[in-house]
Amino acid sequence: MYLRIGIILAIMVVAYSLAKWKNLSVELSMLSAAVCGGIAGAFVSTPPIGQLARHLVEGAFTYLDVILVFSTATIFMAIVRESGGVNYVVRATIKYFYNLRIIALILLMIIVLIPGALTGAGSVSLLVVGAPVALALGYLGITKRRIAAILFIVAGLSAAAPPVNIWAMILSAGTAIPYVGFELPLGIPVLILGTFTVLFLGWKRERTMDLGEVLKEMPEVPERMSWWRVILPFLIFFGLIVASRILPFSTPILGLPLEFVIAALVALLVSPKKIKILELSRDTMKRLLPLLATMVVVGMLQQVMTATGVRGLLSFAVISTPITLLFILLAVIIPVSEGVLTYGGAAIIGIPLIWFLDSIGLHATVAIAGLSLLWPLGDGLPPTALIGRLSVMVSEYKDSYWTFLRSTWLPWLIITVVGILMIKFSADLEFLVRWSI
Amino acid sequence: MSRVWIIKSILLLIIITLMIIAGAQLYEHRHFKLPIVAGQGVTKVAKLSDYAEGVKETVADTNVFYLEGKEKGGKMFIMANTHSNEPAAILTALIFVENALVDKGTLIIIPEFNNSAGRNTRPGDGYPLYYEIPTEWGSKKFRMGNRDASPLDQWPDPDVYVHYPDKQLLSFLDVRNTNRTWPGRPNGPLMERVTYGAMQIMREMEVDIAIDIHGAETMFPVTNCIVAPEKSMRIATMTSLTVKAREKFDNHVEPSPSGFRGLSHREIGDYSDTLPFLLEAPLPFLDQPTGPKTVKLLLDGKDPFLLSLSKKRKLFVPYDETGWPMEKRVGQHCSVILEIIRQFSRKFPERAVELRNVPRYADVVKNGVGHYYHDPDKVDKAVVHFN
Repeated sequence: MYLRIGIILAIMVVAYSLAKWKNLSVELSMLSAAVCGGIAGAFVSTPPIGQLARHLVEGAFTYLDVILVFSTATIFMAIVRESGGVNYVVRATIKYFYNLRIIALILLMIIVLIPGALTGAGSVSLLVVGAPVALALGYLGITKRRIAAILFIVAGLSAAAPPVNIWAMILSAGTAIPYVGFELPLGIPVLILGTFTVLFLGWKRERTMDLGEVLKEMPEVPERMSWWRVILPFLIFFGLIVASRILPFSTPILGLPLEFVIAALVALLVSPKKIKILELSRDTMKRLLPLLATMVVVGMLQQVMTATGVRGLLSFAVISTPITLLFILLAVIIPVSEGVLTYGGAAIIGIPLIWFLDSIGLHATVAIAGLSLLWPLGDGLPPTALIGRLSVMVSEYKDSYWTFLRSTWLPWLIITVVGILMIKFSADLEFLVRWSI
Repeated sequence: MSRVWIIKSILLLIIITLMIIAGAQLYEHRHFKLPIVAGQGVTKVAKLSDYAEGVKETVADTNVFYLEGKEKGGKMFIMANTHSNEPAAILTALIFVENALVDKGTLIIIPEFNNSAGRNTRPGDGYPLYYEIPTEWGSKKFRMGNRDASPLDQWPDPDVYVHYPDKQLLSFLDVRNTNRTWPGRPNGPLMERVTYGAMQIMREMEVDIAIDIHGAETMFPVTNCIVAPEKSMRIATMTSLTVKAREKFDNHVEPSPSGFRGLSHREIGDYSDTLPFLLEAPLPFLDQPTGPKTVKLLLDGKDPFLLSLSKKRKLFVPYDETGWPMEKRVGQHCSVILEIIRQFSRKFPERAVELRNVPRYADVVKNGVGHYYHDPDKVDKAVVHFN
């Protein structure tokens, strides 16, 4: 069986490489890998040929919920931007904090952390507040490359931050560990690492401008724009989330997509200028299409990998690794699994890994928290690079993707070390869980 | 027409074809009807909606089989397919429905507890749609379901599931998981209404014992065991020791954690007088590091990766070349259930439950699971029930 699955894996890798060589997009290359892997598997009835179409289509729906959140959140933010709200916020941030750099940087970091912490998706942080924060960082004299790097790391940390951490929730659900006690094991490292990142990458002022000059250079804000017109849609959005936490049994379950749609409607109603909503929605979806295609194809790839045994082989390889080597390799395995499978990596590698770590006396909750710091790093890695690509998109960075990624090296390294040390010394850090409860 | 348009048209045609083929297969899967033959012991078939108005005319409504003895005694409740991707549960429940003859007390069985999950698939996990159990009259076809209810029946999911009534935060997916929504409420999300219905059965019928049948990964510490809260612990321990001594198989006892909410073995005990037990049999198919997810793996539980990991002591159950065949898993469940009944009846003779004609571990291993199923085409149509 090892050889058979190994051959299918090799065929998938070759299909992906050939497609890339022919200059096909990441999405089409992954689709080639999925289809070729499925056909190769069908030769040995894994899956049976009659089931291949079903596997491909069923897999395409794996991340439908994430796709809906991406779509609605982006349209919401596009309305806020089109109404002039983004420019209004950026202007205010610069006006009041331009000369208090450290406070400005930390405030902007917290603004990015909040949406991701509440929803568990770093992408939501970027889609909701990414663009205005990127503009504000730009006026603080930070280069676009470093802005993209800050947004990528902090948005990733926002996804790991409590109260909602999807990786930890998947692992908790899969390992029958209650999703409780994560506040301090996740909250403390996220705040420390986020502060370090934003100060390290944002400290250097590449260009100095006079405040008056900056304000003059900034885009015009519609005359009737006011603070309540900007804040009201966000208040409605966060209000709906907070209400579902405070009054969970009397608040109807709306789901994130509908919450974003409601916020978008409010933004549309309070906009000081007329917005052509159909045109704006069409353009936004067009811009988002590569990202959505990635999510569809990752699901197909994941399904084919499971049906053929490739996924099991990879999981087996990780679990079979000697423990010392495993701790070292976690720095690579975890981010790469996220880059290839997004949240699927948590299920495939994370669940057996946590059972294994638990069985050798480590503390599962702290170990999950440690792993949760490593997964977001993988959101900058191809083929998916979800958060990385969004960071580049909202910061309007136009140069090489790898140059942007390279500039994150020190925060990346420190987050990796902290994550692995949290796993290694999870039993000693158990008090963080107790204090959280 | 330009070359690009021709290519795009061909691709669109391929995609439409794939969608039609897959759509037809998935539609058929969702609407597949599993015939359940009510054996001679079945005295009444009710619906869950008789106890919970909130599930009436929804996919969540499901058949409740009653096997009432002539003599009054205790009451026992069995649930299967709480997680519909753990097939030993429904296979065990059907053995009881089709064969058990109750002399004293009452047996209440819901073979398809999460009926919506039974009609759901698991995108990304490459499951087969069906599996077949060989019988003397051919084979009986079962639908492979999912752990969670279908989003077609309960949607949208919250961004995080707040457990009722403890307010513990759980994964958003758990709002569709009927082993996280206990004790439920009459007007909550659909799966909370399902568990509420079961709680109402237990409260109204004054059920003594509730058994929730499951399967779990071999790499999961809580596998091959009986999970029991404090109040059920003595009976669980006696059961475990007895099956080990008499029938030579391990089935250890795991305590139900008091801080982890929403689980049947925790909430049933806390919110009623019933003694809950959750049975776990090893299910290699669910393990992550396995070969292809085939029907064969589902039924025989043989996998070379798991065998290798077993030699490295990374599994929580004994595992060799024979795997964990379905007969072994179903046989264990049958014997453990019968032993729980026996231990309970010894301790509370005034509430005893007495039944016969249910095979034990050795019988199921010897005869196979299908041996105990009746051909739905050869029995009176009145005793064949569909959900």
